[in-house]
Amino acid sequence: ITMNIGTATSEENPTHSYLGSRGIWITYVLILLITHFMLLTIPFFSVAVAWTLTNVVHCVITYFMLHVTKGTPWGTPEQGKARTQTQWEQIDFGQQFTPTKKFLTVVPVAIFFLASFYTKYDTTHFCINLIALGFSVIPKLPQLHGVRIFNINKW
Amino acid sequence: MARDGFEVAVNGINNNYKHSNGKSNGISAYSNGHKVNGAQSKVQSTKSTPTFKEHFEQTPLGVAIWTYLGYAILVVIGQIRDFLRSIGIEKIKSCTEPKLPGFVPLFQSWESFYTRNLYRRVRDCWNRPIGSVAWAEMDILERVSYDHGWNFELTGKKQRVLNLGSYNYLGFSQNEGPCADAVEDIVNKYGVGTCASRQEMGYLDLHRNLDILVAEYLGVEDAITVPMGFATNSMNMPLLVGKGCLILSDELNHASLILGSRLSGASIRTFKHNDMEDLEEKLRFAVAEGMPRTHRPWKKILIVVEGIYSMEGSIVRLPDIIQLKKKYKAYIYLDEAHSIGALGPHGKGVVDYFGLNPKDIDVMMGTFTKSFGAVGGYLGGSKNLVNHLRVSSHSAIYSGSMPPCVIQQVISSMKIMLGKDGTNEGKQRIDTLAWNTTYFRQRLVEMGFIVYGNEHSPVVPILLFMPGKISCLSRECLKRGLGIVVVGFPATPIIESRARFCLSAAHTKEMLDKALDILDEVGDLLKLKYSRLKRQPALAESDNKELKNGTRNSSVSTFADLCTLSMKIIKTL
Repeated sequence: ITMNIGTATSEENPTHSYLGSRGIWITYVLILLITHFMLLTIPFFSVAVAWTLTNVVHCVITYFMLHVTKGTPWGTPEQGKARTQTQWEQIDFGQQFTPTKKFLTVVPVAIFFLASFYTKYDTTHFCINLIALGFSVIPKLPQLHGVRIFNINKW
Repeated sequence: MARDGFEVAVNGINNNYKHSNGKSNGISAYSNGHKVNGAQSKVQSTKSTPTFKEHFEQTPLGVAIWTYLGYAILVVIGQIRDFLRSIGIEKIKSCTEPKLPGFVPLFQSWESFYTRNLYRRVRDCWNRPIGSVAWAEMDILERVSYDHGWNFELTGKKQRVLNLGSYNYLGFSQNEGPCADAVEDIVNKYGVGTCASRQEMGYLDLHRNLDILVAEYLGVEDAITVPMGFATNSMNMPLLVGKGCLILSDELNHASLILGSRLSGASIRTFKHNDMEDLEEKLRFAVAEGMPRTHRPWKKILIVVEGIYSMEGSIVRLPDIIQLKKKYKAYIYLDEAHSIGALGPHGKGVVDYFGLNPKDIDVMMGTFTKSFGAVGGYLGGSKNLVNHLRVSSHSAIYSGSMPPCVIQQVISSMKIMLGKDGTNEGKQRIDTLAWNTTYFRQRLVEMGFIVYGNEHSPVVPILLFMPGKISCLSRECLKRGLGIVVVGFPATPIIESRARFCLSAAHTKEMLDKALDILDEVGDLLKLKYSRLKRQPALAESDNKELKNGTRNSSVSTFADLCTLSMKIIKTL
């Protein structure tokens, strides 16, 4: 079973641009809102716990999707150029400070602010949210482009 | 390649096209969400230049959001299924490898995620086996899958369907008629294969006749033919440009042109699809700045474009490119794979369509696959160019030459098109194709589908957007007797999956009406009529459909305006 990608046109790997296409930022925020509301409806969680959970769940999922998963979920005809690159490194061909990258960096920060407000700056929640923020924002720094700490996830 | 990061003043061509297809990042500057691509571009050409109307309506925002949600749900379910397979609850039906200690794994299962979880479930829409000649109608062998797309079984039944998927623009894919008779005679005379390459004993008088005929058809000095269409580009572009040259190729060029450009070793820069201002900027930059570090002038600048782009249905702006080429002393390589035979009052391609002089194009390339019912390609140009190609072309030296039966098919069909067989069948075919194109496009637009491309191009893509609708359209149309080609992500951008129809001179009005009725029915069933343009309908009953579209989308358009405003605010951060 093989799909035909990049055989008709020259678009070999659409990973570099699909996060900038029309309406995807809105969809991202929408999915986030839906998840948050779902967490809020669970009666055992207080508002503070729901916000911290949203932050942590968001951080874990985006960390896994953007900074752990390497390569592409489809076979490309470009012979594995992107196989060792995480999705974050593939966005916009590795250029820094593009609108997509700015947006994806701003969202975890915004969630952190909102979570801090709704948890009334409680210490435990703050620590958890800060660690989540760290995991969200630090891998997105341009200095860490292509860096693999302790060779984890290198190949 | 992409971003050079320069700013050059553009004061060249005085055409005012707006950009086609809002692909910019969440920003849209129009309230009703569509842009018309150069409704009347002020090209300086002969009076036979047709009005250039190309249209790429922007994806409606609500539809885009639903599309992303659809893909997100599919990915989540795929991850769950993969997890179940990994812990053993679900059987693994794809190929696996034994885990040998110390060996690097052969397959990376993430790379086949899409194929395994998304494509596999709907793959009965592609690679359908055909049991007859692929003419205006064809027989499709029925397949059935009992395990959701892992394995197929043929039931033994055949279904006769209308064929809107084959590249058969002039209807020459027949197994009877003057072409087929001539081919039979030639097989009796020359055998089936030439058994040698062109530089050795494989150069028959038939090849020479074909070269002369192709040159006459195109209006150039000489031509050379190659037995494989893809290889015409990939094997011969390295002979034209090399290291120290610059290739400016369109964003959406075919894979054969990309491969040829890469193999040549020249520097490659892409310009936005059919965007003459972008091309002029890049030309000016190239001429002014030269090579990247040394700033020496480029040895050659080659602009590579196609006649008709088969995924978009757009036609290249050839008059503007020729103007640019003459101004900046570049060369142009025109790949007419889809446009030769399909465009122009005499069927001689996009040069004929615009009424230009073929001597202005430095390298004219095309294939015989689409319009002439054969295989192979040609390269035409000046005598010096073709002599150089004859001596050093990789395809001439190393690959077997074109078989005699294929040559005869091309010769017969070209003679019909030139009118040399004494009838006016060639002219009839061209006129039928042009009429079919206009009629089909007009009816689709009236029905309310989003149709991409130039109004005169026989390639008609309609947009489907959502992943579920791609497979549903294909299956529903097949049920009702219509065979179409659908394309989805990642072969197209994520919010632009489409069905692509290729019209043919073999289609009669009754066949087109039948196809359009099926599309109408399925379009209503799947709610595919997304177009929000206010068009003046020719038929009175379309008024109801326009009203439906208008009322449904009023809430979405205000939501869209709200979103564009918020995007603008975020962008300024």
